[in-house]
Amino acid sequence: SFPGERKEEELEAPAGEKSSGMEAAAGGWAWGVVFHFFLVNVLVMGMLKTFGIFFVAFQEEVGGSSEQVSWIGSIMSSLRFLGAPLVAVVCRRLGERPTSIIGAGLVGGGCLLSTQATSVPFLCVSMGLLLGMGFACLYQAAAVMTAKRCRTRLAFSNAIARSGMGLTFLIAPFTQLLIDFYGWQGTLLIFGGIMLNLVPSSMLLRPLRARPPQRSSAKNRARGCLMAKEDPETLDGCLDETSPGETQLRSAQDLPTTEGVMTVHGRDVSGPVNMSALEGFEKRPMDNRSSEIATEAKRSYKSLPATEKENSQPLLDFSPLKDPVFGIFTWSFLFSHLAYFVPIFHLVARARTLGISSMDASYLISVAGITETLSQLLSGWVADQNWTKKYHYHVAYLVLGGVTNLLCPLATTFPLLMTYAVAFAVFCGGFMALVLPVLVDLVGVQKLHSYLGFAAFFAGIAAIGGPPLAGWLYDYTQTYVCSFLFAGACALISPISFFFEPSAQKWKLKKANL
Amino acid sequence: KKFHKQFYKLLLGVSGTSMEKNITLGSAARIELSCKLDNKYSHLKSPQVTWKRGNETIGHISKTKNSWSIQLKILDNSNLGSYSCTLKGEEEISAVFNLQVPKIGGKEKPIVSYEGDTAVMICESLDYTPIAWTWYMTNGSEQIAINDSLLADKYAINRISANVTHLKILKLTKEDDGVYWCEAAFELGKSKGKLKLKVLSFMVPLKPFLAIVAEAVILVTIVFLYEIYSKKKEKHA
Repeated sequence: SFPGERKEEELEAPAGEKSSGMEAAAGGWAWGVVFHFFLVNVLVMGMLKTFGIFFVAFQEEVGGSSEQVSWIGSIMSSLRFLGAPLVAVVCRRLGERPTSIIGAGLVGGGCLLSTQATSVPFLCVSMGLLLGMGFACLYQAAAVMTAKRCRTRLAFSNAIARSGMGLTFLIAPFTQLLIDFYGWQGTLLIFGGIMLNLVPSSMLLRPLRARPPQRSSAKNRARGCLMAKEDPETLDGCLDETSPGETQLRSAQDLPTTEGVMTVHGRDVSGPVNMSALEGFEKRPMDNRSSEIATEAKRSYKSLPATEKENSQPLLDFSPLKDPVFGIFTWSFLFSHLAYFVPIFHLVARARTLGISSMDASYLISVAGITETLSQLLSGWVADQNWTKKYHYHVAYLVLGGVTNLLCPLATTFPLLMTYAVAFAVFCGGFMALVLPVLVDLVGVQKLHSYLGFAAFFAGIAAIGGPPLAGWLYDYTQTYVCSFLFAGACALISPISFFFEPSAQKWKLKKANL
Repeated sequence: KKFHKQFYKLLLGVSGTSMEKNITLGSAARIELSCKLDNKYSHLKSPQVTWKRGNETIGHISKTKNSWSIQLKILDNSNLGSYSCTLKGEEEISAVFNLQVPKIGGKEKPIVSYEGDTAVMICESLDYTPIAWTWYMTNGSEQIAINDSLLADKYAINRISANVTHLKILKLTKEDDGVYWCEAAFELGKSKGKLKLKVLSFMVPLKPFLAIVAEAVILVTIVFLYEIYSKKKEKHA
């Protein structure tokens, strides 16, 4: 191997320059992806939230009962989730960038088409269907791309992107202003234009470089090793990596203690990798540069000879449905979404019934929004420090959030309600920021599309059922107290599934070993 | 027809020199208005309290220990107005009851619509049910009633419910821009609400839209060019 190594050293010099350039570029593109995801959050959530303002305008002009008009909003927000499995397929086929551009086109087109609407069914299709599917495309592409690009700082990047939702409070007055000036049709026209801005930002979703061919793989490996010269742990890893007999079992056993990125290789039969070495690499709180090196190295390992199987996933991949880990995640996702949406709907109404003026009630919402954004950022940063597994934080936030909701009925004055709103926002922000990182931990990045797709689908069912259920609860009990108790119960039920996570992983291992 | 009697009372001498109460009547009613002297005037031996409507003095005042009241039958518009009770003394202290028809709220914000489109103007009177609704449009300084049977392809007036009326204006043009009035006729009188209609041409929102689209296209071009540039750089490196 000596002559080989010397050859690789010769190749080091130009490769070194190139890789540092690429690393810088990779870091830059990661920020671009986060920025795009941020923008998607702002515009998508903004559009969803301001639908209520359009609601009134639609009802007056286009006619239709309030139930009919609210279907438009329901279709729009639920398709965003329900369309996810379909979008996952498209994403895997075409790649994230084209899918995102298609999504932006759908949204822009839908807005423009809606300006010509004359009846509620028309709006259901043009606004509900087109916008909903467009949002699903945008969201799925951006989320998975973020997971692919930001390996080490996923929780924090996700939180930064999600903080875009906090800015949506600005969109509501802006929309109202536009409607006063231009009427709802003019406003939709302008929104269509704004949504088209997502096309250039979608172009930032540069696809990760394709696998390098066999020859250069050796060079990459060498580069990866040589780059890591300062780090004795990884150097060991590089030298140790040869044996094809390196067990997957060992790597799989590392699962509960590493970030799920490693589980990627559980699927590839070729596994001549020493996972623990790369693990050490990842655990260092380095920035994206190191993660890119690790990615490069890993990818080159994957392309080494031995038994290399192509990713032959069927186009519509139902395997997540058979995976218990998926069940765990989805159960938690579903209930936590119910617990999130219902109080938001009814907080203002409850404040009103307690005699609080609508100005003060809107302060509640603003404060809650700002607190949630800050809490997301903090939670993402803390989770990235890797002091413990991410889903432990997730569970903690959910439990605390549930308890807060259960205590909400005790809040009968404005200060108490404000305290509730702040506490709820803190815990909600905390667990919302961790949804994507936890899924990536459990499942890995390769299969993320299918898993995220199906998980979003089930969350969509919750999203459809949630508001009507909450409304029904109010009608039945004539008080908003029940909605909060219900939300609290959901929030407490949701983390239960995570207790089964270790046993599910063991079950998976056993199955993999058979 | 039997009416329920409504009672209204004001205290004389409590806050400042004059007190007012607005009473809204949706239909004919029997009213008793009374003014009671505050305790700080209990030292007066023979206080003089008079009831007036405008400048006419009203007789038939029934007096109890400290309060003076009048009974009124409000049957039509002429019975509405301001009724006041005045305490004569060094200063004149009075309390006023304003009897009026229900007010119709218009919309302060103009309704925005586009040329060629349809606009719907809504007026409602939720607490009191009017007998009839009439719509007027303003032509210069005149108010002209809108006859929807005469101009059936332009206007349509629908009474959605007893308390709500819709005026639908079809095929809008610039001339339809302006102020509209919806008038509700009650048993005791009429009341108007004001609405504004703004008619815009398509060009108005189109300009900002085109500006934003142009900006998006420019961004796309920039990102595209940058990608080509960086690919070329990679090839040369």
